[in-house]
Amino acid sequence: MKEVKTYCFQCYNGPDPFKMIVEDGIVRHIEPDFDCAGISPGEGRVCVKAYGLVQKMYNPNRIKTPLIRTNPKKGKNEDPRFREATWDEALELVAEKLREIRKKGLLDEKGYPRLAVSMGEAGSPAGYGGTFPAFLSAWGPIDFTLGGGEGSKCYHAEHLYGELWHRAFIVASDTPRNRWTLSFGHNTNASAGVSGAMRHADARERGYKRIQAEPHLSVSAVTSDEWIPIKTKTDAPFMYAMINVILHEMAWEKVCDIDFIKKRTNSPYLIGPRGYYLRDIETGEVLVWDSVEGASKIYNDPSIKDFALTGKYRVRAKERGPDGEEWIYDEAECRPAFQLLLEHMRAYTPEWASEVCDVPASTIRRIAREMIENASIGAEIEICGEKIPLRPVAITLGKTISNGPGGYQACWARTILAMLTGSLEVAGGSVGASQRLNRPHHDRWSSIWPGEDGFFQNFLNPTDPERRANLPKTRSHYTELVPLVGNTGWSPFLSPVPHAWLWFSQSPENWEKPTYPDVWIIYRTNPNMSMYYTDLMEETTKEFPFIVSIGYTLDETNWYADVILPEHTDLEGLQLFRVGPSTHSEAYWQEYGFALRQPGTAPPYNTMDMTELSTELAIRTGILKEYNEAINAGIILGIRLQGRGYNYMLNPDRRYSIEEIWDRLCRASVRLLTNGKEERDLEWFKQNGYFTVVYPFIRHFLHPVMVKWGLRYEIPYQGRLKIIGEELKRRLEDKGIKWWEEQLKEYEALPRCEDFSQKWDESVRALGLDPDEYPFYMVNTRSMQYAWGSNASLPIMAEMAKYVTGFGGIVINASVAEKLGIEDGDTVVVESPVKKKTCRAIVREGIRPDTVLVTGQFGNWAVPFAKDLKIPSLNEFMYPDQRLFDAGGSSADIVKVKVYKITID
Amino acid sequence: MKRYAMVVDLKKCLGCQTCTISCKLFHGLGPDIVRVKVIEQEEGEFPHVERMFIPLRCMHCDDPECLKACPTGATKKRTDGIVIVDQDECMGCRYCAVVCPYQARTFIAVDRRYFPGNGNLWEAKRYTEHQTGTMQKCDFCYKRIDEGISRGLEPGIAPEATPMCVISCIGKALYFGDLNDPESKVSRLIKQRNGFRLKEELGTEPSVYFLPRR
Repeated sequence: MKEVKTYCFQCYNGPDPFKMIVEDGIVRHIEPDFDCAGISPGEGRVCVKAYGLVQKMYNPNRIKTPLIRTNPKKGKNEDPRFREATWDEALELVAEKLREIRKKGLLDEKGYPRLAVSMGEAGSPAGYGGTFPAFLSAWGPIDFTLGGGEGSKCYHAEHLYGELWHRAFIVASDTPRNRWTLSFGHNTNASAGVSGAMRHADARERGYKRIQAEPHLSVSAVTSDEWIPIKTKTDAPFMYAMINVILHEMAWEKVCDIDFIKKRTNSPYLIGPRGYYLRDIETGEVLVWDSVEGASKIYNDPSIKDFALTGKYRVRAKERGPDGEEWIYDEAECRPAFQLLLEHMRAYTPEWASEVCDVPASTIRRIAREMIENASIGAEIEICGEKIPLRPVAITLGKTISNGPGGYQACWARTILAMLTGSLEVAGGSVGASQRLNRPHHDRWSSIWPGEDGFFQNFLNPTDPERRANLPKTRSHYTELVPLVGNTGWSPFLSPVPHAWLWFSQSPENWEKPTYPDVWIIYRTNPNMSMYYTDLMEETTKEFPFIVSIGYTLDETNWYADVILPEHTDLEGLQLFRVGPSTHSEAYWQEYGFALRQPGTAPPYNTMDMTELSTELAIRTGILKEYNEAINAGIILGIRLQGRGYNYMLNPDRRYSIEEIWDRLCRASVRLLTNGKEERDLEWFKQNGYFTVVYPFIRHFLHPVMVKWGLRYEIPYQGRLKIIGEELKRRLEDKGIKWWEEQLKEYEALPRCEDFSQKWDESVRALGLDPDEYPFYMVNTRSMQYAWGSNASLPIMAEMAKYVTGFGGIVINASVAEKLGIEDGDTVVVESPVKKKTCRAIVREGIRPDTVLVTGQFGNWAVPFAKDLKIPSLNEFMYPDQRLFDAGGSSADIVKVKVYKITID
Repeated sequence: MKRYAMVVDLKKCLGCQTCTISCKLFHGLGPDIVRVKVIEQEEGEFPHVERMFIPLRCMHCDDPECLKACPTGATKKRTDGIVIVDQDECMGCRYCAVVCPYQARTFIAVDRRYFPGNGNLWEAKRYTEHQTGTMQKCDFCYKRIDEGISRGLEPGIAPEATPMCVISCIGKALYFGDLNDPESKVSRLIKQRNGFRLKEELGTEPSVYFLPRR
């Protein structure tokens, strides 16, 4: 028996190190790697998905050798008639198409990249792609899209606003120090990985309180102290009412963290008559009111004795609006942002919210008071020898809460509650888990630099005409429609449409219809299943000139492919990857560094390592030099091959083996971590698995760096967003675009709240149908067995999933089922305005009467094994409706349906 | 004398089935053959509903019904309290499964595969470890424990000498140790948190204790 160290990155909570136990030529089984217990937040353990990797590797239904399509006709009912090919033949076929592009020019006649690449969700392909990023970088302009549910399967509004406000692509709770967590549908036990599951289990043992508000009793509600069965999409109204209780029913001056509100937020900033920050006429700096001296001052004036949070004042000043327009006043009537917040929140009473959320007003009041009571305002804790505030209260949001209509309002309200309790980016409170739209991804502190108006620097897409003219063209137009998404490596993966390809058939008014890319490469993703409107996606896909799938099994997207290149799976490939200091969800490491993924045994089938595949493509398309240079320059994980005292640079003109490349990257990675002092080769990594150095845990909290730079979070008042929205409106009006108007309304300085659940009824009504005919909100939940793992083809995973309620059918409330004559296990029809399917009814008490629930994402008709499961997917019941998208371009996993029993006449 | 026991913290179990799959992989078990599983229960009526996960396995009773029912002596109780089945002696009568109050046994009736007739290398190699027509059940990974002890390791403390389900559990809901040692973690947890056993009234004296959820 031999132990081989590697890692699992099937979901973004990883990488989680583990050990393969190899015996008799096979990976016999998998064990935790307790050597990293003091370093990794998962303590060396891995979840159910990692144990499934053994079956994933030996799965005889894998694509075992390259395949080339022989049926030129593409369609769901057209057998692709794939034939087996040699690697040389398959790679050459792909290379030939790529060489044609290089001859014609990388951009087509309309300016779109001729090569398009779609990847799977949440960055997980990066943990498997080897040197593929170097090939993509060497290539030049590429139209990137996310294949795994673009914008609508993620915490989209949280990503955009979280990064804007506190560099938090994901907002997590600092669970080990937390005392009270309110979770709106955040399904920690299914989607927060080993670290999340473990941290919350430890916290339960310690006795923290967790309240789960969601329309169905999820696996996370099982381990919560309280379940509040709130109506779908009314989370923002609930939180607005909590704010109302704190501001208008409690003595906020006494119970809130006033010091935090005054010093770390824009609450004292004076707001002018037009709703913009009021500025000093000469310097243009934002003004506040010094309540002791009774005078306006620039916000960072050291002579300020106290900041006024309330009141109305008259000040000689100016306002600056969209496109630099300015208004100068001799006596501007103005109020601090906090005063406007007080007035704004007055209407959102618990009684109002109670009607909307279907939750008693007394519950909302109690929850608001509990949050205040547990906030321990004034308390401090020492971390890494530094004292920071301890505010052990947090609110977490699930996927469907933080995308689509109401997503912005939910994120904003959550952040306001964190502001009132001073629990933002401090111990025990709401903490960013990582940043992706800003760099460097692995260290949020390093991206905090003073920007304008006392806030930190943000890099958004321009809304002025000059700079917009020079934006690179992509088929998803993320740079043009979503300023907040920015334009860094991750930005295209948060584009404003479920998938860019849908513009082909649904190109809206005055919007250029895009061209098809000459070549589309899909890697570790199955967009035709993962996107909304699956039928429409397939209709579009079949028109693509040439599709290359780097695939695992036959699936609903590569059914339309021209070539399928099978890659090594998780237990077969070789590559280095970053571990720590934090990834997305609650994976806060004590150390950070690099871990090796390596083969346990020789691969059982004729598959290829991604590094070799990338090198082959680089050579065959004539860009080996650029490819090697990209590796030298640090495109792989930010590891440059040359630094002070070391030089592992590749000769640009030479081909290197997989092991040669990773040996150099291993050596350089350790140099990088040790300031050039130490070196470890590939062999060392093979034996030891990972090399890490200490990450000061204090850096997981932004508070100290905000204090160091004297910076403020741009909450509660969205002065900048208001201007961005107004500028974007002008730019779109210039082009005659009216179909983004609903989304533009979201750019409010203090967002208004409403009953967002009604949007789905309005949508049904707009189709000429009666919403009462579709009484159920169909919603979706993740399961740990499947989330992000591409495990649909594994029978062992279905066996595990069947022990958990929800797998294999649609969950419906017991009393409603009784009225409809439906019994547990019955076959029922689920019907949305566009789709009708049969499935098994799972009758339970733990779900609202107006909700039905589907677990995971199936609906497969091509994936081996999964196609026989006959489980519906929410995606296939969806239909395009612009009103269900938010300003960020995401929608929520909700569709109105009717459910009835099959009757045989 | 040792008496090995397991403690299951119902407050910490999240129903993820990592114990179930890690056990299956370690012991090379085919489709629907499980030694450990996490079942689910729902109680109450909307909106006052309680849902819970309960990890189940052989309870390693001190006075096991299966032992008495086994006609061939294949079921044995070791001196350390672990109840095991010797496959070579098992004749497949399934009396043990009938009398077990905890439905903790699974019978391998036929050689079933996840990928029938498809030449899966792993299944071909691993399923040879079990005999068709014999009984499967949790054995507290006793070979792992014995091997660990022979290397001077302490079961329940050293991962190498501890059952797979315990070391793989991502909620850290499972504990293993010596019930006869009042200072062991399991003994202390049972005492401090009012550990209870399932169907205690039957008098079989199970060695698996549960810690209440609330």
